[in-house]
Amino acid sequence: MITIIGGGPAGMSAAVAAANAGASVLLLESSSRLGGQYWRHLPENGLDSWMGQSALQSDYGAGFLLRNHVMSNPKIEVLCGAQVWSVTKEKTILVNFLHDGVSHVVDTQRLILATGAYDRTLPFPGWDIPGVMTPGAAQALLKSSHVLAGKKIVVAGTGPFLLPVASDLSKAGAEIVGLFEVNKLRKWFAYSGVALRNYKKIVQGGRYLGALHQRRGYAVISAHAGAAGELEFVKVAKIDSRFHIKKESITAIPCDAAAVGWGFTPDLSIAQSLGLNLIAGQDTYPVVAVDEYQCTSDPRVYAAGEITGIGGSELSLTEGIIAGQAVADSEMGINRTATKRKIERNSKIRKKQRRFANTLLKIYSVKSGWKSWVTDETLVCRCEEVSLEALKRSIKELGVTDARSAKLLTRVGMGACQGRICSRTVVEVIAGEQNIEVEVQDFISTGNRPIFTPITLGILAEGSKPYQPL
Amino acid sequence: MKSPDVIVIGAGVMGAACTLELSRAGLKVLVLERGSVTSGTTGAGEGNILVSDKEVGPELTLALRSRNKWFEISDEIGGGFELEAKGGIVIAKSDHGLSNLQKLVSIQQENGVVIEALDSEQLHMTEPYVAPDYERAALYPQDAQCQPMLAAAHMLKQARALGARVEVRARVIAITSDSQGISSVRTEKETFYTRIVINATGTWASEVAALAGSHLPISPRRGFILVTHPAPNLVRHKVYDADYVANVASSDADLQSSAVVEGTRSGTILIGASRERVGFNSTLNISILRLLAAQAIALFPVLANVQLLRVYHGFRPYAPDHLPVIGEDSRFKGLFHSAGHEGAGIGLAPASAELIADQILGKTSFMDASAFSPHRFAEQS
Repeated sequence: MITIIGGGPAGMSAAVAAANAGASVLLLESSSRLGGQYWRHLPENGLDSWMGQSALQSDYGAGFLLRNHVMSNPKIEVLCGAQVWSVTKEKTILVNFLHDGVSHVVDTQRLILATGAYDRTLPFPGWDIPGVMTPGAAQALLKSSHVLAGKKIVVAGTGPFLLPVASDLSKAGAEIVGLFEVNKLRKWFAYSGVALRNYKKIVQGGRYLGALHQRRGYAVISAHAGAAGELEFVKVAKIDSRFHIKKESITAIPCDAAAVGWGFTPDLSIAQSLGLNLIAGQDTYPVVAVDEYQCTSDPRVYAAGEITGIGGSELSLTEGIIAGQAVADSEMGINRTATKRKIERNSKIRKKQRRFANTLLKIYSVKSGWKSWVTDETLVCRCEEVSLEALKRSIKELGVTDARSAKLLTRVGMGACQGRICSRTVVEVIAGEQNIEVEVQDFISTGNRPIFTPITLGILAEGSKPYQPL
Repeated sequence: MKSPDVIVIGAGVMGAACTLELSRAGLKVLVLERGSVTSGTTGAGEGNILVSDKEVGPELTLALRSRNKWFEISDEIGGGFELEAKGGIVIAKSDHGLSNLQKLVSIQQENGVVIEALDSEQLHMTEPYVAPDYERAALYPQDAQCQPMLAAAHMLKQARALGARVEVRARVIAITSDSQGISSVRTEKETFYTRIVINATGTWASEVAALAGSHLPISPRRGFILVTHPAPNLVRHKVYDADYVANVASSDADLQSSAVVEGTRSGTILIGASRERVGFNSTLNISILRLLAAQAIALFPVLANVQLLRVYHGFRPYAPDHLPVIGEDSRFKGLFHSAGHEGAGIGLAPASAELIADQILGKTSFMDASAFSPHRFAEQS
């Protein structure tokens, strides 16, 4: 049996590919439904609700169809609400997960990791005010809870993801009082070849915009609360190519919510606890190293989707197909030459999609000048309330030289999020203060989280029950 | 600082304490640390400053002195490392545990440890969430706690103000000697000349001793710690079962575990202390976490509903006779070791540093330190 962790585009397509090749699959998804962040909260069933959701996102149809393939395939067992809290390697791989308040353990020979990514945040003055959130959080509120983050919303940061979020919020009835993309359109000209080859996708991106007006070269640099402590306005400024604020360009925009995001950070907790080889991705942040079959440095473990490099849903689907096929081949003892053509065909598609994804990462990159917007009082770590000033002081006075010593001496990253939100920022601030380049190892050293999701001591003490796949 | 009076290897709590002690005496001290400050066992410690778990002997003498020195250091450097006389409570329920506890208590009391016996009612007043079947306890008001990483960093800060220098990312790759003893220390980048080297590298002390051509039998003894989400006031002291002392003293390579449970200032609860000798193995062992959780719940049933936030592990520097190694090397003049304190390194650091400084400066010490001498291993090598 093959275990897949993550039921987003990569995990679902891997499940279908592996099952079609004859393998039995257990698909573990932490949220209550399949779809992942990308197809968040696909409708349970029925065309009507699909049409309703479809109005929110143009390719929901594809997600709906893939979901139905997964659900109707007798070789795939889907377990939603299964929160993996620990994965350990012994002779086999032991996946411990919580489901219905009980811990189970699945003993698996082969594993596909498709754990996806989460929004990348940058600290700025006021980012801890209620009403300030990530685009992903705003979208989750809308799709999962049918709650609008606000009536007047600013969407800002960088990346193609801002467009569907702004579009969804607008269609659901919010007034988008500003849509700010920090990177300028003209960067596309540097990549005109790639742009031409992918013009359809760019047109699709444009379609999200509809009546929305996107301003490029601007960023939200601070958020401000009113007397009740809730968000009242944000300040927006013109930003140069190194992300420094252009003087005399700051304006205040009244709003009751701000969705600010800076691309994505791959969720590597499980990959790291398995000791998989990680390498620097396009933006130096680590990704899981995989071969042409999506196989990691552990021959029993495959990886697909955002954890092998941020690349979007289409690349994730392709990687899932390759991983699913390859893992099924080794599970069933099928000679790879038999399915070589199939994998080669998808490899070509993957190569093209990866090239496009890397171009997007270059265009929508984050430059180190963002640090100039952050004031000393700004919290770098929200969980433990550590300010930039405290972090800087620990560097000057206590001999902090890396993220680990910062964690031990200031508590950054020790709180509820375990550094998922702040550690990337902390690494960059520390390197900046010492005038040294960030290296991939600096990020890797902050990612050791053997427990992925909190469990009660009672459940831990009871032990995991062996899970018997159906 | 090409030719310092003293080179201290290791910027953990032991290196920091030695550096402060010698800087205060006016010596020029250079600290060489291969990683970042407190990146070794200090960074994985709970910050125990305990007298309660010490059996009577030279280690208890060292512990009592060291405990008081921590409070003096805190006054000297203006605090900043969360030092607090939290108090330890050793609890017992079985007849066996009870009689062990009574034996330990009476002999400790004769040797200067302050102990208050608690009956069942007093115990449950002091620690309201402790399991009802625990009926006896001994309260050790001298037991204290600090944040060990901050303690080391602040001691180094003070030492720097007194003229010491700290080099991080400076791995020592060679220690040379001539007819007069130690002569130089080489890192990957530089060579420094000195006649005195202090090996304060804890669990890695035998590797560093080997660089000089000497031998120390110090090996890692792994321990896991569970950290919960903040749950203030559930646990008010450092609480452990009387069996814990027996585990510390055991030399078995297999897993020993008895939960030590304590609340911290940030509200989180720390649960230790497993002990196993598995080399520098970092593989997570769920069954150990399970055992620690079950033992903690046996002490405090309320913990069953508290959430585990994270786990981490560290490698205690283990010496086969469970005594620290403090003093001058048997073969190399000028090479001093202060290592091998196992799980008590934080607590014992200030007094260990004092013994080292006394030996370097030719002063008479507060105790006879021969039990800690590295010479005791000389025949074995």
